[in-house]
Formats: sequence, structure tokens, C-alpha cells
Amino acid sequence: MFKVISIKSLFSMVAVSSKCVRLLGIGMVSLSMNTAMGADLTDANEIVAQANLTSYYAANDGRSEARMLIKDAQGREQKRQFTILRRDRSDGGEQDFLVVFSRPADVRNTVFLVAKKPGNDDDRWLYLPGLDLVKRISAGDKRTSFVGSHYFYEDVSGRGITEDNHQLKETTDSYYIINNQPVDTKSAEFSSYTAWINKNTFLPEKIEYFDESDTLYRRVEVLASELIQGYETVTKSRVSDLRSGGETTLEFRFQTYDLGMEQAVFSERSLRKPPREWLRRSK
Amino acid sequence: MVIKNRSSFIQFLLPAVILFASANLYAADSTSEDSWGDDAWGDDADSQQGIQIHGFVESALGARLGDDSAFRDDDLTLAELRARLEAENFYGDVRLSGKLDLYADGVEGGADLNLREAIAEFSINDNVDIKAGHQVLTWGTGDLVFLNDLFAKDWQSFFSGRDDEYLKAPSTSLKSSIYGDDVNIDFVWTPVFSHDNFISGERFSYFSPMANSQQAAPSGKVIPVEPSKTFSNGEFAARVHGSAQLLGSNAEWALYGYRGFWKQPNAVNSRNQPFYSPLTSLGASLRTNVASGIGHTELAWYNGDDDQGNNPLLPNNQLRFLVGYEQELLPKLTLGVQYYFEHQLDYDALTKSDGGSIYRVDEHRELWTIRMTYSAMQDNLIMSWFSFYSPTDQDYYHRPSVKYRFNDELNLTVGGNVFGGEQAHTFFGQFDDASNVYARLRWSY
Repeated sequence: MFKVISIKSLFSMVAVSSKCVRLLGIGMVSLSMNTAMGADLTDANEIVAQANLTSYYAANDGRSEARMLIKDAQGREQKRQFTILRRDRSDGGEQDFLVVFSRPADVRNTVFLVAKKPGNDDDRWLYLPGLDLVKRISAGDKRTSFVGSHYFYEDVSGRGITEDNHQLKETTDSYYIINNQPVDTKSAEFSSYTAWINKNTFLPEKIEYFDESDTLYRRVEVLASELIQGYETVTKSRVSDLRSGGETTLEFRFQTYDLGMEQAVFSERSLRKPPREWLRRSK
Repeated sequence: MVIKNRSSFIQFLLPAVILFASANLYAADSTSEDSWGDDAWGDDADSQQGIQIHGFVESALGARLGDDSAFRDDDLTLAELRARLEAENFYGDVRLSGKLDLYADGVEGGADLNLREAIAEFSINDNVDIKAGHQVLTWGTGDLVFLNDLFAKDWQSFFSGRDDEYLKAPSTSLKSSIYGDDVNIDFVWTPVFSHDNFISGERFSYFSPMANSQQAAPSGKVIPVEPSKTFSNGEFAARVHGSAQLLGSNAEWALYGYRGFWKQPNAVNSRNQPFYSPLTSLGASLRTNVASGIGHTELAWYNGDDDQGNNPLLPNNQLRFLVGYEQELLPKLTLGVQYYFEHQLDYDALTKSDGGSIYRVDEHRELWTIRMTYSAMQDNLIMSWFSFYSPTDQDYYHRPSVKYRFNDELNLTVGGNVFGGEQAHTFFGQFDDASNVYARLRWSY
């Protein structure tokens, strides 16, 4: 769900984001040379690193509204609606998220603050408005339901790229197909997953998860994306739990990048008084 | 009169609830596929403006597990139909928010209003936020154990199984928050002293050392003398806080100060009336990552009017200390443990002045708490168990609960409040006969 962003083409990226140019400079040069020569990348780690940046680290910061439609196998529906603010401390590294819920009524005005620290436990806080309580939450299993949806916490905040071994299985006209196996097999419920990464945008457009008996049981797919401020941005995605038959559709709207948010936006102050300056839609 | 009200109340309440529930379940089933449509998304910035109206309707029933001989009619501990209206709007950058409960109470009889919130919230400049009006206030690190949080609590609601939200009682206060680069300051002024809604003999009986027995309303209702409404009798609370890197973790530190009154009438005046005696407190807390969980510790020094400790009609000064740890044991299963102690200062002076009372508090009171929370079924089912246990008082208070969300609108909570102890006069032991089970059905909109 923070897969808000991607790079449509090198030229648009150069045009809109000097930071990306700076940080991805080396990769970009080789990438552009490869592209110019029509050659494909062959290093799975490089592809995955690029996809991670594309999915979770576009621009320096961003804002998006999001809503989830959660359906169980019986067709019963629940909804979640929230606004997300994100700011990167470093590309591919630490970043902060502020999530302000507006739906359903029983979680309205609940605020979730995350300091993501790849390779370490995230710091997480929750503000419960009914009690005026800022609760610090202990680090949890990242592969369990995020706010009751079929998305996992890790789908939302990103899985550390060093937590899996990556192998380039196939390169098609449109996709790099990467096989991934967890370094620590006890760290995840899957035994492997396969990602279809778009060769142009580096968006992972489909991810399929397999269990120990090599049975496909979970799928995450991008249903729509569009170019926003030069970043290819997911606007609709879906997770299907193939065992239970449940699924969650996630839509994003009103995304903006490079707002110039300061680190102070991601603090206790914003938990108690969400920063309207950044949360409201730009006119 | 009350009994009559009560039975008619239930006759009214149950069909109303069933109606709500069935109407809502039906509505949920009838929604079409991909029913987001353009509902509530809005296409322009203006759709984020305008007044937001929400709330809930809740019915609740709670029954005593045993008998309480202090009451003539003691069956129900909770019987209410409650309607909550919440309204929120922005005027420029000023946020106005109101929350009002209207409820019919079958235990104490009659209908009542409970204003939960009526505030204006705004920033004076880049660094100063103001929250003014009737509001719930919370700070500190304890989980259901409060040291430096001397804002009003509602123990009657807590004991009777109302939603956790009601443990915190609102007060009419002015809160200013000043944010700096490293240090932040909160200052709360409550012009009129706002005491706890303590166990006064209504709904639940309490042990009276003076009468040497359990007491209950009407004859045994505690009616304390309140401080006169002067400026100097207002409450002043401050918190200086920030975060720092400690052993590679983000540690949140805070210092606290309070000047006001004990929140419960634990002093007796010369006319034998209970009253709220003055209290000043100072404290500190720290909360940080420890191993793969969260550790917290808090300290408070309570300083009242009995500096020598030799006035048995006033509470002695105290030191209070808390340390706790919380960790996710298994996916979706979280365990929290806390240890708390309360040390009476000048205890020797108290023992010499209280005539050898057998109900004298211990010099050290220790308390352990444990919390286990497990969520399942896509977070729609939440099971929780919270227990207080005091090895020094030899008493306990268990709070099991199960909450099920049928959908975004309807949820059911079933739980219990179970008290007990070796002795009839201790902190939790006196509420042995208050033990109850309850159920709440809530429809949110």
C-alpha cells in the first residue's frame, strides 16, 4: 500500500527528482546503458533493490488517501479508510509513516505512527482518541493482518530485501520473474514467493506465495497504476487469500510527492493532533 | 420505584437491541459487490470539509455474580441504553469536537446526559498547540496503573464493564503544549477540581473502616466536601518530555508535576466528613525497546498535607514505583506484565497515631498486573485478560473480555469483573460482592 510510486522512465525520473538521480546515479547509468542497448539486468539483487525503491521510496516524502474493501469467503464486507504520510530518512533505509484513520466509525481519528528500521524492529505507536492515550506497541510479527485486512503489515511497510535470497528465474518481454526464499525459514509463513517485476517501471505487479508443499496460497497484484509527478504509482491493488477465499482490494487516491515534510511531523505531537497542513488534500 | 423502572427498562431495551442488530445484519448482507462506488471518497478538497457526525447506540447489561447484602436490590450492575453523538468540524485551522452521551440507566434509574468532550483545538504558532474545553486527558506509561496521570478516572464505569474509554472521566481544562527541538512541555490547568467518579456506595458497596462494615447508598453513600472554587484550588499539571537514543533505541522520557488534590476523598475532617485533601506530586518515566518488547518504568512522589505522617485522618505521603514489560509472544498474542509498589512514608508516625487500627494500610503495598491479548479471525475476535494481584493485600481483580466485530457497525463485548481477597477491607478485597459479568452490543454509525 505504500507501493505508491514507481519510475515510468528514466527521463521522467531525471526530470522530477534530483534526489533519485543522486542516490540511484550509478544504477541509473548502468540501467540506461542497458536499456539503450536493449539489454536486460541479470543481477537479481539489483532488480529487487530497484523494485524496493520503486515501491516504497519514491520521492523524499508523499501523501496518499487509501481505502480498503475487505471481503471474506462468504462475501461479507468491511471497509477501512485512512490517509498516509510518509517521509524517507534515507532511500532504501529508514522511513517514517503516519496513518490517520477516518473509517470505520469505531476507529475514526485513531492514528498509527511507525518508524521503519530495516533489519531491526520498527518503532510503533498508536493514539486512541477516546482515552487520549499514546500507546507504544511492541514489535509484532510483520506477517499478520494489517488492520483486519488480508494485507500484512509487511506488505504495507515493505519487507527487508536482505531477508530473502533472490534468484532471477526468467526474463520475459515485460517482466523480470524473481524467485525468493527466506534466509531464515522460520521468519515467514511462506517457503518461497515469486515476483513479476515490470521491466520498465520496476513495479512488482504480481507476487505469488507458496507454502512448504509448493502450493500457491496467496497472491498480491497491482490492478492499476498511473504516473504521478513522474513516479509510477499504484492506484489499485488486491490481495487474495486463496485458502480462505477472502480478499482485500486497496485503492489509493489524491497522492502527492515531495511536499517538504519535516521529521517533526512524525512525532507524538502528530499522534495527538494530526497535522492538518499535510493531511488535507492540496487544492 | 427504581425496581419498577428497571423491569420496564429491560422490557424496552431488549427488543430495541434486537431490532438494531437484525436491521444491521440484514443491511450488511444486502450490500453489493465492490460497493465502494464513489461513496465518501469525494473528488475535490471541499469534500474533506464540513461537519462530521458519528456515534453509536449501545445497550449493556451486567449482573452481579453473587449477592451484596449492603443492597436491597442488588441483581444488576449495568443496565443501560446509550446513544452517543459525535460532531467534528474545522473552522479554518480550529478544530471543534463534541461528544455527548444520552443514556437511560436501569441501575440508578432515570435518563442522564454525559458530556464526554466539547473542545476547541488550534495552534497559536508553529510550536504551541492549545486544546481548550471539556476533555479526556491521559499521560504516563502504566497500563491501567496510574502514578503521574492524576486526571479524573471513572472507577464505577470501569468496575461495571462499560467500554474502556469510560475509565477516563473528562474535565474542563486548558491544555497547552509547547514543542521544542529536544524538549516538549505540556501544561494543563483545570480551574475547578475534577475528582474521580470513585466507588461511593452507588452501584457497588465499599468497606468503611469507621463503620467496620460494607456500606452502600443511600445511607452509606460517600458525600465528600469539595474544595471551594477558587483559583488556588484549581489543578495544575505539567509534563516535560522528549525522546533520546538510549542503547540504540528510541527512549521516551518524561518528568511530571501536579498540584491539586487527592482524586478520591481519603481524608476525614473534624466533623467526620470525608474530603479531598491537598496533593502535590513529582515524578518521572521512561519507555523504550527492551529485547523484542517494550519496557516502561515510572516513579512518583506524592506529597500531601500530613508531612509528619502523624495525622491518621490524612493520607500519608507516598512513593509510587512501576516497572513493566510487554512483548508479542506468538503472532497476535501479546503478554504484558507490570510490577507496582506503593510505599507509605512516615509509617512509624502513623502506627503511633492511629490507635492501632486493624485496617491500617501496609507500609508497602505491592501489585502485579498481567495482560494477555489475542486477536483472531482477521482481528474480528479479540480476547483479552487483565489481572491485578496484590501479594501484600492478598487480593485480586480479574478482567476477562471477548469482543467480536460482526462488521464495521456492529460489535458485541462480553466480559467480567471478578474481585476477591483474603480480607474484607483491602483495596480489591472489599469489592468481592461487586463481581459481575456483562454484555454490551454496540452499533456504530
